[in-house]
Amino acid sequence: MQPTLRVNTFRQSLILSGLFVLGLLAVNLIVFKPGTMAVVTLSGLYQGMLFFLIAAGMSIVFGLLDVLNLAQGAFFMLGAYAGFAIYGALPAGTPIEARFIAALVGATLTGGLAGALMEIGLLRPLYARPVYQIVMTLGLSTALNEVVRAIYGPAGLVPIEEPPLLATTFTIAGGQFETYRVFIIAVGAALMVGISLLLQRTRLGIIIRAGVQDSEMVQALGINVRRIFTLVFALGTAVAALGGMTAAPFLGAYPGMGTDFLLVAIIVIVIGGMSSYEGTAIASLLVGLTRATAEQISLQYFNTPILASVSILLFMVAVLLIRPNGLFGRD
Amino acid sequence: MTKTSRPEGLLGLGLLAVVVLGPYLFAALTGTPDEGLTGLARWQSAAAAVYCAKGLSPIVWLLVGGVVVLAAATLAGRRLGALGAALDGARGWYLVAVAALIALPFLIAAGTNSSACSRGQAFFWQAIFVDVFTMAILAISYNLMFGFVGVVSFGHAAFFGLGAYSVGLLMEHLGWPWWGAVLGSLGLSIVIALIKGFVGLRIRGLYFALFTLAFAQVFFLLAGNRLLVDITGAEDGFTFAVPDFLNMTKNRLFFYYLGLTAMVVAFLVVQQLMRSPTGRVLVAVRDNEGRAQMLGYNTFQFKLIAIVMAGVLAGGAGVLRGLALKGASPEVLGLDFTMTPLIMTLVGGQATFAGPVLGAFGLHLLEDFLRDTVVTLGGVSINVGERWALILGVIFILIVIVFPYGVVGTVQNEWRKWRARRS
Repeated sequence: MQPTLRVNTFRQSLILSGLFVLGLLAVNLIVFKPGTMAVVTLSGLYQGMLFFLIAAGMSIVFGLLDVLNLAQGAFFMLGAYAGFAIYGALPAGTPIEARFIAALVGATLTGGLAGALMEIGLLRPLYARPVYQIVMTLGLSTALNEVVRAIYGPAGLVPIEEPPLLATTFTIAGGQFETYRVFIIAVGAALMVGISLLLQRTRLGIIIRAGVQDSEMVQALGINVRRIFTLVFALGTAVAALGGMTAAPFLGAYPGMGTDFLLVAIIVIVIGGMSSYEGTAIASLLVGLTRATAEQISLQYFNTPILASVSILLFMVAVLLIRPNGLFGRD
Repeated sequence: MTKTSRPEGLLGLGLLAVVVLGPYLFAALTGTPDEGLTGLARWQSAAAAVYCAKGLSPIVWLLVGGVVVLAAATLAGRRLGALGAALDGARGWYLVAVAALIALPFLIAAGTNSSACSRGQAFFWQAIFVDVFTMAILAISYNLMFGFVGVVSFGHAAFFGLGAYSVGLLMEHLGWPWWGAVLGSLGLSIVIALIKGFVGLRIRGLYFALFTLAFAQVFFLLAGNRLLVDITGAEDGFTFAVPDFLNMTKNRLFFYYLGLTAMVVAFLVVQQLMRSPTGRVLVAVRDNEGRAQMLGYNTFQFKLIAIVMAGVLAGGAGVLRGLALKGASPEVLGLDFTMTPLIMTLVGGQATFAGPVLGAFGLHLLEDFLRDTVVTLGGVSINVGERWALILGVIFILIVIVFPYGVVGTVQNEWRKWRARRS
């Protein structure tokens, strides 16, 4: 497609997304009381950030390696469980803040290391057979779920203790909201900007973006693309594991948690347009807001959260019908 | 070779018809139908008397003898003249397999010293085999999409689960007769497949796989939701009554043959489809869709045909499952019923006719045999039954990496190489 045309579609999609958000907010304004509306919007952002943490890695990895990593949800879960393990392993006197930070760092490292091992050991042999890669990641996701079930049992673990600083709630326009969820929004936003800077401003970022365009050409320029693949894959899984650990004080940890989030993450990257980082970032917020709004509406009128999941599925189908390659996808 | 010279499937069906319907005919001619019962069930009790009469050994020996003769004729192949030539190669083994499955309930009964028609070991294994047949149909259907047409679907459970749900709902809530409910469920599968095809096939490759995943998940969520609790029973599912002759608790042997027949039919449908000109085009679409389009084929239509076929077969498997369990719960719509046929197809060998069936038999029976086994490795003891999903996951990854053609595919490749070396 012509470059000018592409810029135009990009701008169009941006405008479309903006209009969609405005529409959602308008619906919010009409249907809910101001307090509820503030909580719904914040909770939409919070969900959107969690989705982003899983989807970001999937989208970049897909752009660069052409692998859809369906095990990404399992890494999210892995992060939560690693956090629990670190919480438990530290000596009894350690202050909660130290435990919390150690768990965040430890979970991220665990996720990154496991991701690197997976790329080297399981994905490399399969680059010639793309369909098998996606099938393999699905199998790995099942296996990881079962390993966790075997070690920790089928019941979940109760949420870990959050640092006292974050364990409060505050009032916004008459609605109650937990400080910890704002912390999750902050972590997500920081990573969103951080990854964007990494992609736009660093040498590694340039290589990654070039690789998304044409990885053979990058290799021809004398860059070890294989090593970049491993690095990017590990980065993606590390971010997902960090997401899992960040969510652990809120959601706890249970064997199916990865799959729950994976499905939404898939919807996010499909809406955003598979390999587009900006698309994923915007789509995760759109999906988060849609989900939160639909959830509240459905709770208010039908007394069940059913619309939460159904709404985003319908959203995806609608986007695909208008744009078969997602909002910001390439042809 | 033309299509008409491949009679093995029809022979297999004929064999089934004789064995399953024979006792009915016999009962109709000689027996005294039970006056307390009505409809088919009347004749069924009379037929059961033929199957299960004391001192059944003549029938057992007849069946076993038939299997042995068939197997011998197949082995002898062309050396045996016309009959052997007709049985030469794979087609003979298909027939032997069908004949062996027909004889199986009686063999188990003889082996475990229980009756094929009353509670006991034989009864227990018949139920397991009904499950195996169901999964085999599902795997055959999955293979049609994944193996032959190259369309990856992660939402096959939608068809399976909807089959199980709709047959029950139609009978229980709308009061349809059993045949109406079965036909209605299959019709629903067609409608769903058409919707999925018309909407989904506009989306290419990976997007389609993800679309199907989301599509199936909608039904899973709806089935488990309290919103429809009066109809579907939400997460507990619901149960329904089936007519006596279809009741697996009462007429298990009949249900066993019903499942076997359904599996053979599904196998035949896919085999005949893939050997027809339509099937050739489907394979061409898998290998190179652009080229097929350049040759003037409307590939959309052909893929739609495949989706509808696969949808009906998977829906049929779901109907069988629903009838066998006399109920349905949200798990039949869950990811497991997409993953399991996928693994079975891969293990058995994708894009082969026998592969998915062998995969289903192998994996399902293995799971049942190993259910209570505890393996101790060093200091760690593993309960195989409890960890089955984990073991499957590992097998799955290994197969994908080192054994990509599955059992049947690898054997076929080696066989071809061996023959090429000989000639």
